[in-house]
Amino acid sequence: MPLARLGRRVLLLIASIGFLAYVLAPIAWLVSSSFQPEFEITSKPPHWLPHQPTLENFAAIFKAADEVVTYETRKQGDTATGGFIPSTAKYLLPSMWNSFLVAAAVVLLNLLVSVPAAYAMAKIRFAGRQASIYFMLATRVIPDIALVVPFFLFINKLGLLDNLWSLVITYLAITVPFSIFVLLSYFESLPDELDKAARVDGCSRLQTLLRVYLPLSTPSLVAVVLFSFLTSWNEFLLALMFTQTPASQTMPIIVASFTSDFNISFSFINAAGVLAIIPPVILAIMFERYIVSGLTAGAVKG
Amino acid sequence: MARIRFEGVGKRYPNGFTALDNLDLDIHDKEFLVLLGPSGCGKSTTLNMIAGLEDVSAGRLLFDDLVMNAIPPHRRDVAMVFQSYALYPHKSVYENIAFGLRMRKHPQAEIDRRVRDAARRLEIEALLERRPHQLSGGQRQRVALGRAMVRQPAVFLMDEPLSNLDAALRISTRAEIKQLHQAMQTTFVYVTHDQAEALTLADRIVVMRDGVVQQVGSPDDIYEKPRNKFVASFLGNPPINYLDGRLAVDAGAVRFERDGLSLAIPQPLAQALARFGGREVSLGIRAEDVSVHGTPPPGQALGGRINAVLPVGSDIFLEIEAAGSQLFFRVGKEVQYRDGDNVALTVNVNRLHVFDRQSGESLAWPSAAA
Repeated sequence: MPLARLGRRVLLLIASIGFLAYVLAPIAWLVSSSFQPEFEITSKPPHWLPHQPTLENFAAIFKAADEVVTYETRKQGDTATGGFIPSTAKYLLPSMWNSFLVAAAVVLLNLLVSVPAAYAMAKIRFAGRQASIYFMLATRVIPDIALVVPFFLFINKLGLLDNLWSLVITYLAITVPFSIFVLLSYFESLPDELDKAARVDGCSRLQTLLRVYLPLSTPSLVAVVLFSFLTSWNEFLLALMFTQTPASQTMPIIVASFTSDFNISFSFINAAGVLAIIPPVILAIMFERYIVSGLTAGAVKG
Repeated sequence: MARIRFEGVGKRYPNGFTALDNLDLDIHDKEFLVLLGPSGCGKSTTLNMIAGLEDVSAGRLLFDDLVMNAIPPHRRDVAMVFQSYALYPHKSVYENIAFGLRMRKHPQAEIDRRVRDAARRLEIEALLERRPHQLSGGQRQRVALGRAMVRQPAVFLMDEPLSNLDAALRISTRAEIKQLHQAMQTTFVYVTHDQAEALTLADRIVVMRDGVVQQVGSPDDIYEKPRNKFVASFLGNPPINYLDGRLAVDAGAVRFERDGLSLAIPQPLAQALARFGGREVSLGIRAEDVSVHGTPPPGQALGGRINAVLPVGSDIFLEIEAAGSQLFFRVGKEVQYRDGDNVALTVNVNRLHVFDRQSGESLAWPSAAA
C-alpha cells in the first residue's frame, strides 16, 4: 500500500513537472532571449542561457524615441548582427501607457458597475431578476468577432474612432458581465441573514454593501480586478479595429507591428515582450493568495 | 413604546405563492408575543414585515398609529436576532455588538458603556476581542442577543433564536430570554415552531398555518381551548388523540358514542354541546388526561390493550389499542406495564375536546368565543 502511494506521488510529480515545463518554456525562452544579442538568438542550436548577456535590447527600447528609422538605415542592418530597430519602435512606450490607461479605466468602471449590480441580483428579489441574470450571461456566448462590426458602427457614430474611450467602452461590454457573474456567485454564497442583520442594524442598502459585503469579498474583487485588467491589457482584435494612430494604439498593436517591418528584430521584439508581461506578473504576485479562492468561491457550497 | 397593528395584511410573491393572507393582529406594548406554526406557515414573513425586510403587498402595518408599509428597516426602531446569528465575520465581538449603535451615530463613550454593559450581563466580557469563528454556538448566540440588546429598541424580534443550540443550552437560554424581556420592558415578537418554547415564553401565542392565523390567545387558552384540530394537534407531547364518533343528547345529558365506547360529558362542556345532538364529531383526549388507577366509574372508562411501553425517564408513554384506534397516553411510573396487558383507563372527562368531524372546528369553543 505505501509503495503504491509512493508510485502515485512520483507519477503526479513527473506529470506536474512536465506540465509546468510545457507552460513555462515559451516564457522562459522569451525572457532568456531578451538578454541575448540577435546573433545568439538566431544561432543553432539556441541557447537557453545567454552566453553573452546584454541589456542592449532594453536600452534600444528606451532610446527608440531618439532614433530615426528610415528605409536607408534599415538597409544597412544585418539580420545576423542585429542592431536595428523596427520603424514603429518609438511608439512602444507610449502604447504601453495607453494600454495602462485603458486597463485602469476598465478596472475602475468594472468595479463601479458590477459590484452594485451583483449585490442587487444576489440579494434583492425584484421582478425580472432571473431574466436579467440569464440575459447578461447570454451576451458572453456571442464571440467577440461577431460584435466587431456593430461595435465599429457604434463607435464611428459616436465619433470615438482612434480614441481611447472606444476601447474603454467596448472592453466594458466584454468584461462587465463576467465580473458580475463572479461577484454574483460570491454574494449569493454569503448568507441572506447577514444582509438582513445589517439592515436592521441601521444600514441602507448601499451601506450594507460597503460595510458588510465588500470587506468580506476581497478574493472575488481581486479576481474581478485581475480579469478586467488582463483582458484589457491583452486585447488585440477590437484595438486593431478602432485605433489607427499612435495616439490611441495599445501595446499589443504596436508589438504586433514589429513583425511586419522591413526586417524582423527578434532581440527587440523579445525585450518588448518581457516589458509587456511585467504589469500582469506584478499584479499576479500581489494578489496571488486570493486568485484561486476568488475564482472558485461560490462555485461550491461551503 | 411600541404597539404593532396588522390591518388586513397580505404577502403575495410574484410567483403567485401567498405567504400571508389578510392578517389582522394587535401586538400590545411590552408584550411577549410568540408566532407559532410549522415551516411555511408565514410566521417568519410576519416577523420580517415588522422589521421591514419584506414588503407588505396588501393592507396596512402600523407602529403606534403610524403606517410603516414603506419605511425601510434602518428607519424602524427594531432589533432582530436570527436563527443563524448572522454575526459579521470580519468584525470582533465588540464591533459586532457596537455596529448598530455606530450606524445610528451614538457617541463613542455611550457605545462603549452600552457594549460593556451588555457583555457583562451576557457573561461574554472575556470574548470581546475575538472573532465570531472563534466562538461556540452558545457564545455566538449571546453575541447576537447582545447586538440586539444594546440598541434598546422599541421592538425586539427573534427568529427561531434557539434552534441551533443543543437541548440543555436551549432550556437555560429560554429562561434568560424571559428574564431579558422582563428587564428590557419592551415589545418582543418571537418566531418558533417549538411548542414548548412558545408555551414557556409567551404572554400570547399566535398559531399560524398556511399564512392564516388559527388562534390567538394566552398559552393556557391555546392549550386548554384549542379552536380547531390543527391547534390541538400542534401543542402537546405526545400529540392529542382523536376518536371519531357521534354526540348523543338526551334530556340535557350529553354523551360521546362510538362502537364499544360511551363517555359522559359533564358540565359546563355539556351545555355548550347540547345543541349538537347527533353530530358526527372527533373527540380529542390529551395524552395526559387519563388515569390508570382504580376502577373507572361508568361513563369514564376506556379499555384497551398495551401495544408498546415507551419509558421517557420521568414518565412512560403507552401505545394503546382501544376502541379500534391506536392511542398514545402519558402515565406515571408507579405501575409496571407489559406489552399485551389489558388496561382500564379512566378518562378525565372534564378535559375533553370536541371537534366537528367535517370542518375540524371546535364545537365547545367556537371561533367567536375565542
